[in-house]
Amino acid sequence: MESLKEKKIKKIKKIKKDDLKILFDKLRESYTVIGPKLSQGVVVLSEAGFEDLPAGFRDYQARGTYRLTDEKAVDVFSFSNGPDSFKRFLHPPLNEIFSFRKSKKGIAIEPAAKEGRPIAFVGIRACDTWALKLYDRIFLEGPARDPSYSALRKDSLVIAVNCPHPGDNCFCSSMGTGPEVTPEVTDVADIVLSELEKSFIVEASTPAGSDILEGIAGEEATDRDLEEKRSRIESCKKAMKKSVPYGELPELIYRNLEHPRWKDTAKRDLECGNCTQVCPTCFCNSSYDLIRLSGFSQKGAELKGVRIRKWDSCFSRNFARVHGGNFRPSRRARYRQWMAHKLAYTKEQFALPGCVGCGRCITWCPAGIDITEELEALKGVR
Amino acid sequence: MYDKTIPFEAKIRWIKRETRDTATYALKISDREIQRAYSFSPGQFNMLAVPGIGESAISISSCPADRDLMHTIRVAGDVTTAIDRLNVGDVVGVRGPFGSGWPIEETVGRDLMIIAGGLGIAPLRSIIRQILKSHPGGSRAPVLLYGTKTPKDVIFRDEFPRYRDVFEVHLTVDRADPEVYWRGEMGVVTALLDRVTFNPLNTVVFMCGPEIMVHRAVPELVARGVPGEKIFISLERNMDCGSGICGHCMFGPRFVCKDGPVFRFTDVEQFLKIMEI
Ligand code: SF4
Ligand code: SF4
Repeated sequence: MESLKEKKIKKIKKIKKDDLKILFDKLRESYTVIGPKLSQGVVVLSEAGFEDLPAGFRDYQARGTYRLTDEKAVDVFSFSNGPDSFKRFLHPPLNEIFSFRKSKKGIAIEPAAKEGRPIAFVGIRACDTWALKLYDRIFLEGPARDPSYSALRKDSLVIAVNCPHPGDNCFCSSMGTGPEVTPEVTDVADIVLSELEKSFIVEASTPAGSDILEGIAGEEATDRDLEEKRSRIESCKKAMKKSVPYGELPELIYRNLEHPRWKDTAKRDLECGNCTQVCPTCFCNSSYDLIRLSGFSQKGAELKGVRIRKWDSCFSRNFARVHGGNFRPSRRARYRQWMAHKLAYTKEQFALPGCVGCGRCITWCPAGIDITEELEALKGVR
Repeated sequence: MYDKTIPFEAKIRWIKRETRDTATYALKISDREIQRAYSFSPGQFNMLAVPGIGESAISISSCPADRDLMHTIRVAGDVTTAIDRLNVGDVVGVRGPFGSGWPIEETVGRDLMIIAGGLGIAPLRSIIRQILKSHPGGSRAPVLLYGTKTPKDVIFRDEFPRYRDVFEVHLTVDRADPEVYWRGEMGVVTALLDRVTFNPLNTVVFMCGPEIMVHRAVPELVARGVPGEKIFISLERNMDCGSGICGHCMFGPRFVCKDGPVFRFTDVEQFLKIMEI
């Protein structure tokens, strides 16, 4: 990281809104570009170009509700996060880890090659850059660096964006994880976009980001522009409707692991696991061996298959099962595990927040359970 | 170094039946280089794989100085059932070693007490064998307390005479078996504490067994004056990856696979108290 600083890579430019297209085109030369796109009435992440950006769209989100509205905004990044995040791409829901062949002679194992062009993520919000930073720590800095994640993450590029306004369920401001991409996360955000009324301020924070900026013509950002950026971030913060008592975490959870509220939540909880699927910090997974019918061969009693890693959830009934018992047989315990992991454990495990305040779990919970309300309830009498 | 996320091949050199449902498997790592690079400390575990069936976390029951890499396995789930069907010369996949081992440095100048229940003796056998090889005669004998369901469930039965050369050994069973002559005690393993004279303030405890045993034994030890910081327990949880990326083994904020399985009691005390944590 030292050499990074020496090189003084910090580049800052102002570009016209339409010039975002040049950025996209430039990225497409060497990356698979993943960005926001409309699909079936939802903003999703997929391979996308400038034309695909749902520019001007606004969404209405509430507990268990997501709707695109008719309102048209002037901002390009007017919409909020949909259900997807980078995790679909770096930690795919179904991910082949290796293939194996077992014969009389022995076992041959071949790690799955993760080829293809590196990914450039465009339009990642501040909250998700924190989640990405957490993912790097989990998958790259653990006792065994994960080869799959490391191959997919290698050379990837992140074009983050400061939010012009919050989504209805966002509460990043109270978590300290947004709406601005702050210096704590500029190591994972190669370029940060700030939308102004008529232009974008584009800042590169890594050498890879600055290489991309190199080829894009722009003006110098004036003090006025920077002031506009500031005030836009401030007004986004002010517009945020939800918050959590961040200062009281993790103790608020630790003190209340036996709070009666858990039982009450369990009654409403459907255990669908939606929250864990949409959460950008949820990473839990299970692996299994898959053998296709064609994997059996008579000669040499050969067996061919693959090891698949798939997203799992602490809400799965068997998540904590061992032979002869289940460590979390009750729904109450499983919900508590989820929330405690988000709001207390992760911080201890990886020195980063386990919830980044993106609000996805609130939007996509069919039972309308709201993590900020549940946390608030723990403060009540027990 | 080899990649701990990808299994390597090991051949079964021999199999020894221990009880009706438990057997010890001696493995030889096929690849010479991995063989050389592979090293573990007592208390650690491997993920053993039967291709097509899956993987299971199994503690290592040999000690580092042993020639063979041993695992003592009880038939319980899919993977262990599949291993049970294997013969000498068959191969399994191995990933590891993972986890924390027994803190041997804690025993220096102190009296070691080992408490095991059932299959919990497997990861402790690793340290027992290490002590057998290195114990300086003359100093105070370490204590080994072991409890099983019935006399027929005593694992490593044939090795106990050797253990007795160095250890003060006490055995107990939940209930007798009419077919076996039993000289040990009957009752829970904590009752054995009455049989031993020990200086609680100078004692270090290594414990592994069913969680119910831990719940009983720890308060008993603490009540007798053993400091909670000197009690080490090996916990069992569901494990999938071995390196803190799958989330299955979480115990409060701890990952049993990488922060454990051996924990200092006082580091996990607050969570042991909470049901279904
Ligand atoms: S717990 Fe909810 S609000 Fe927090 S990061 Fe996950 S999805 Fe977002
Ligand atoms: S949580 Fe904050 S950073 Fe994330 S989308 Fe909402 S406002 Fe933007």
